Amino acid sequence: MTPQRPLLRRPGPVLALRYAAALALTLFFIFPVYWLFIISFKTPAEIFHFPPVWYPESIQFANYRVLFKDGDAETVWNSLVLAGVSTVIAMILGTMAAYSLVRFKTGGENLAVWIISQRMMPPIAIVFPIFLLYVYFGWVDSYHGLIILYTAFSLPYVTWMMRGYIEDIPIELEESALVDGCTRWQVLWRVVFPMARTGLFATAVFTFVFAWNDFLFALVLTRTEVITYTVQVTHYFGGQSNFWAKIAAMSVLGTVPVFFTVATLQRYLVRGISMGAVKG
Amino acid sequence: MAHTSTIAAGGAALAFPGHPPDRHFKWWIIAPAIFLLLFIGLFPLIYSLGVSFQHRTMLEDDKSFAGFLNYAQLFRDARLWQSLLHTAVITAIALPIELVLGMLMAQLFLERLPGRQVFVSLLVMPTVISPIVAGATWRLLFDNRYGPINQIIGWFAGKPVAALWTVKPDLVYPAIILCEIWQWTPFMFLILLAALSNVDKSLTEAAEIDGAGYWRIFVKIVLPAIWPVMAIALLIRGLDLVRIFDIIWALTQGGPGTMTETISIYTYVQGFQQFEVSYTAAVAFLVILMLTVIVTWAIRRMGLAK
Amino acid sequence: MADLKITGLHKRYGPVHAVRGVDLEIPAGEFTVLVGPSGCGKSTLLRTIAGLEEANAGTIEIGGKVVNYVRPRDRDIAMVFQNYALYPYMNVYENIAFGLRARKTAAAEIDQRVRRAADMLAISGLLDRLPRQLSGGQRQRVAIGRAIVRNARLFLFDEPLSNLDAQLRDEMRSEIKRLHQEIGTTMIYVTHDQIEAMTLADRIVLLKDGQIEQQGSPLDLFERPATRFVAGFLGSPKMNFVPATIVESAGAIGLQLNDGKGLALPASSRQRYAAAVGRPVVLGVRPEHMARAREGAEANGHARLATTVELIQPTGSRTYITFPLGGMAVMAEVEPHDVHKPGDPISIDLDLNRAVLIDPDTNRVI
Repeated sequence: MTPQRPLLRRPGPVLALRYAAALALTLFFIFPVYWLFIISFKTPAEIFHFPPVWYPESIQFANYRVLFKDGDAETVWNSLVLAGVSTVIAMILGTMAAYSLVRFKTGGENLAVWIISQRMMPPIAIVFPIFLLYVYFGWVDSYHGLIILYTAFSLPYVTWMMRGYIEDIPIELEESALVDGCTRWQVLWRVVFPMARTGLFATAVFTFVFAWNDFLFALVLTRTEVITYTVQVTHYFGGQSNFWAKIAAMSVLGTVPVFFTVATLQRYLVRGISMGAVKG
Repeated sequence: MAHTSTIAAGGAALAFPGHPPDRHFKWWIIAPAIFLLLFIGLFPLIYSLGVSFQHRTMLEDDKSFAGFLNYAQLFRDARLWQSLLHTAVITAIALPIELVLGMLMAQLFLERLPGRQVFVSLLVMPTVISPIVAGATWRLLFDNRYGPINQIIGWFAGKPVAALWTVKPDLVYPAIILCEIWQWTPFMFLILLAALSNVDKSLTEAAEIDGAGYWRIFVKIVLPAIWPVMAIALLIRGLDLVRIFDIIWALTQGGPGTMTETISIYTYVQGFQQFEVSYTAAVAFLVILMLTVIVTWAIRRMGLAK
Repeated sequence: MADLKITGLHKRYGPVHAVRGVDLEIPAGEFTVLVGPSGCGKSTLLRTIAGLEEANAGTIEIGGKVVNYVRPRDRDIAMVFQNYALYPYMNVYENIAFGLRARKTAAAEIDQRVRRAADMLAISGLLDRLPRQLSGGQRQRVAIGRAIVRNARLFLFDEPLSNLDAQLRDEMRSEIKRLHQEIGTTMIYVTHDQIEAMTLADRIVLLKDGQIEQQGSPLDLFERPATRFVAGFLGSPKMNFVPATIVESAGAIGLQLNDGKGLALPASSRQRYAAAVGRPVVLGVRPEHMARAREGAEANGHARLATTVELIQPTGSRTYITFPLGGMAVMAEVEPHDVHKPGDPISIDLDLNRAVLIDPDTNRVI
């Protein structure tokens, strides 16, 4: 009897089935996003319409205009500043730490394990103590407060990821630089950072996205001055009058940047979210 | 300052000035990171531990020593244990579903499929949006009058349906779990897809030639090969599920009543709505303890092969 | 003043004692080759000189200055690595200029030095290429260029040709030798290849198990090895070793082999070996010091042997014949155009003037 080709490799009807399944899945996973987008472009009448309007008559930007007029769109800017600055600082400090761990085996395995274990800390459990601390320092509702927090929270991830990328750098490059005329510090900046470019970039994006998407820390540690877009979205939840349009528009404003950045980094996606477990 | 160095197995000691260059470099460059981690990671914990032994509540900022009062309270607090139960339920249901569904999807996309890149890019979207946005989205979807979900169910049922997804006790858990699975199955899918792609084809092909069936190959060869990656994915996902907050906050805020209150929500309520400062500190400590135990056990179990 | 002086150097990696008490003095301008089998400590020694490893004990002096605690960049050395170590994100010009830039040298001077080095190595046309666009040989030249441009006092080479194919290796070997003649800098070269060692070195330092087995000029080590190891390491094909016993009869000194055959030793060596009469030794004789016996009497100090051909290995320029001697399979070099078949009888002439006798207990040459 001729050996059968494995189930999923047979062409013809099976391929069509796979396609159907793929389409169905994509529909399931994309539809809610579509719905969110579409609500942001609907008129109030279309939003609160039964049965639901699947496709609006025309694309209305009114909802977005309101956000900008009211100044709510500023929250997106806040998110950008907080996530951006904390990412930059975390990348620098984290890569330096990773270099120390990889090339000098600083602190042995214990230090490395301790650093990575910090990521396992449950936000809810540590946000409370941090809140108490911030009250004491007067850092609640401040930019630097959240930046410090996001940076510290991103450090374990950055250190862990950059460890892998630095290990991939051939050590002769650094040794050659040392002999040629670089101090250790120069080697770090003239050789290690350039060589780890792609890793830096990919890790930076994921670090940024984690901070950008944060809700809990922002909720707890801000009041009225420094509001992120994630917290702002929940401000529209109040009681009966759900400002649906605003929820949708705000969410879209906060989500589109992420889509763009992640789309351009397809290649590193798997390695990034699996904490380097898979060199996808 | 002279530094002497001696030849180990006998021999004269030779002395020359100075000390090894750059020997502190490795500490200097890691110091800022460690300092920051200690500041945010350790310091508050110790401070909060101290607070948990005090009497601070909403009514009075009493910093007097309370002994183990708050900790004793933990055991009597039914709502606390309820919240742990809720958390366990959500985790126990969502995690396997995400795993299985993610695995099925990975298998589907494993072999060549025209346009696979496009599919994968689209399927990734739920994972990269903020969990609070995901929750908000499904809140809109689940709306009893204007939400498309009830509309779709109505099509199948043949008559209009106005299910109260975020309010009715029977429906809140399915709602939460559905939203959670929607957002995070792609995460599992991506990781499993990559792991499966990395499995050495020659292993599976050899087994095929030997006559092994699909299922046997999968269980005996593929699963063991991807286990390390799968373990890490499960660990990450599992921890995230235990800490779940945003989605529930967006959908039900822990309601109705305290039906969907997980440990995170409960802690938040105690700390930032009830202002039971000292008690919350104790609860927080308990949570950290629990999670540290779970993580340590899990890491040891999976071998620190990371 | 010696350019490099090492005294009592020790280096350990955990339980491994890689360098055990090395003393070395290298005068200015000399080309020294550190050679030995893998694990002998030659690379470790080089890296310690460079400052990439820290010695556990002993001193390293460069130009009379103790440099144990001096940073690599301040030791006035240049190094060429086995894997070239070129920065992939910089072009050739930038790669060569790297060290100078790090030291904040003036742009004009950098330009002048880089172009001069490039000329010397015939890579001027490649200055704006990236490393991945270069061949292996070109990359190695760039690496050498990077070393030259610094006008360092000491050049260190860590097995630079090991990654090249045989033909390229021969070419580059000549280049390096020519380079040394041209710029005359003190060079220390590490390799495991004894041909590289022989052809390049002014002085060979042969290392074994972290210690210097013998050092001297190539011919010194080749013709007057101090130990069995040295004798067997240099020369290709390897020297033949045959166990024997020194015997004396009728006032003449000779060797008794295990298979009963006897070889007469040169009269001139009688004094040297007199004390060892009756003791077992190992005879060491190189294939090139043997030949097919010709008509006529043996030359002074030569011995003749009747034996049979076991194996024939022609290489074109030489032919090697293996035959049994004293229980061992021994290789001799014969004229390439002589035709032999396995099993043919053959008479071999051994030049025992050039042979060595080794004490089997100490492995030293008597």
